[in-house]
Amino acid sequence: MIFNSLPPRDAFFETVWYLITTYQQFFFTGIFYTIMLSVIGTVGGFIIAFFFTIVRTTKIDTIRQSKFSIFFTVVSQKMINVYITVFRGTPMMVQAMIFYYGLSRLQISFWTPLVAGFVVVTLNTTAYITEVLRSGINGVDHGQLEASRSLGFSHSQSMKLIILPQAIRQSLPAIGNEFIINLKDTSVLSVIGVTELFRATQLATSPNYRTTEGFFIAAILYLSMTLIASILVNKFEKTSRKKEAMV
Amino acid sequence: MSDILLKVENLVKSFGENIVLNQVSLNINKGEVVSIIGASGSGKTTLLRCLNLLEQPNLGSIVFHNQNLMDPTIDINQHRMKMGMVFQSFNLFNHLNVLDNLILAPKKLLQKNHDDATKEALEKLALVGLERYASQSVQTLSGGQKQRVAIARALMMHPDIMLFDEPTSALDPEVVGDVLKVIKDVAKTGMTMVIVTHEMAFAKEISDRVVYMDQGEIIEIQPKDRLFISPEKERTKAFLSRFMNI
Repeated sequence: MIFNSLPPRDAFFETVWYLITTYQQFFFTGIFYTIMLSVIGTVGGFIIAFFFTIVRTTKIDTIRQSKFSIFFTVVSQKMINVYITVFRGTPMMVQAMIFYYGLSRLQISFWTPLVAGFVVVTLNTTAYITEVLRSGINGVDHGQLEASRSLGFSHSQSMKLIILPQAIRQSLPAIGNEFIINLKDTSVLSVIGVTELFRATQLATSPNYRTTEGFFIAAILYLSMTLIASILVNKFEKTSRKKEAMV
Repeated sequence: MSDILLKVENLVKSFGENIVLNQVSLNINKGEVVSIIGASGSGKTTLLRCLNLLEQPNLGSIVFHNQNLMDPTIDINQHRMKMGMVFQSFNLFNHLNVLDNLILAPKKLLQKNHDDATKEALEKLALVGLERYASQSVQTLSGGQKQRVAIARALMMHPDIMLFDEPTSALDPEVVGDVLKVIKDVAKTGMTMVIVTHEMAFAKEISDRVVYMDQGEIIEIQPKDRLFISPEKERTKAFLSRFMNI
């Protein structure tokens, strides 16, 4: 049954159906950008966090390192720590406002709300995953690092080849969780006008003021995405565990 | 046999106020097997770990291949490649299978190709009696098997010296013999070895010389027959008599 005109106010499900059929393009767009932002934010955040973690775990060697390299390492480590504190300690909504409007002043042509959204969600996720990887590393036996160093690997080679692969495997559930959080939290990017699912729903309900019905749809869509994501994350974890058991 | 491979002079290591090594000097000749014995806390493990700078000594010199490892300008990683180390707790790479544990370092550090490294790894595994386990996860191995893999892994780098840090202390008694046999086999190839151990009978059997340490100092260095049968120093006698009585 297709409604050509807006159903009466008390017809909840009819209104839901009306919104779905009339504004499906909005919802599709919203879902698309929500997923894109979450995937790119989590993958990008993970890649940056990987390198941050190597820098962060570097031990200062006062005997063999040059003064410049010690200074550089210490400053980088401090900056990463400040970065993590700031990004974990402020709402992503505030970060989005500052980044988008702050950099808009520079009048860079490609600085659109969407680009700002990708940057903010990535930087935010980086901060969380860097912390996740830190606790993953603490879970890997320190003796393996010594064994690796005794074979002649440098610190960063040891981290890349031996410690981080194990830390990442242990951190997979937490990283998957970051992805699921991102699916929901990218909704705050609506504040700078990114057309993810929240903003798309707002747009679909603004001509007709059927906010409850519209966001009822959004809730179901969000729930479906997070449920599917958590099933995928579980599967992924299980296969990686199975692989580990097989070899 | 006076070709000195490793020369340790006046090594001092302290952890805070606690002096763990106090002016330790020791020469290791090429092809020689030296055991270090002593009570827990005597500094023997710290001495061994200082040799490849896993612990940074405070003072002294360690000359290996005519280069002082304490010189901050040398590349310690290059030297570590030539010093194999076997740990009490095996320290295998848990995310890799047995074969990959062996070939990782030769591939990445010696730029060996995969096939050559694999071929050699299988030979080394045969040497330690574990060729059938090449594709197994190291987490499924027993302690004794793990330690034999760890020895094979160290041998893959063709070290000039092997450092053993209490290689059998974490093992069940029934598998100690398997590991000791492998260490003996390695010794037979003419490998220079330094072994920190509590296994007196083993030390007596395998070593050319035995070092007795107490409270961060080397009390006595003697050929094995002399140290075990007629030690010169009172402290060595006291230590050995305690051991032999048990």
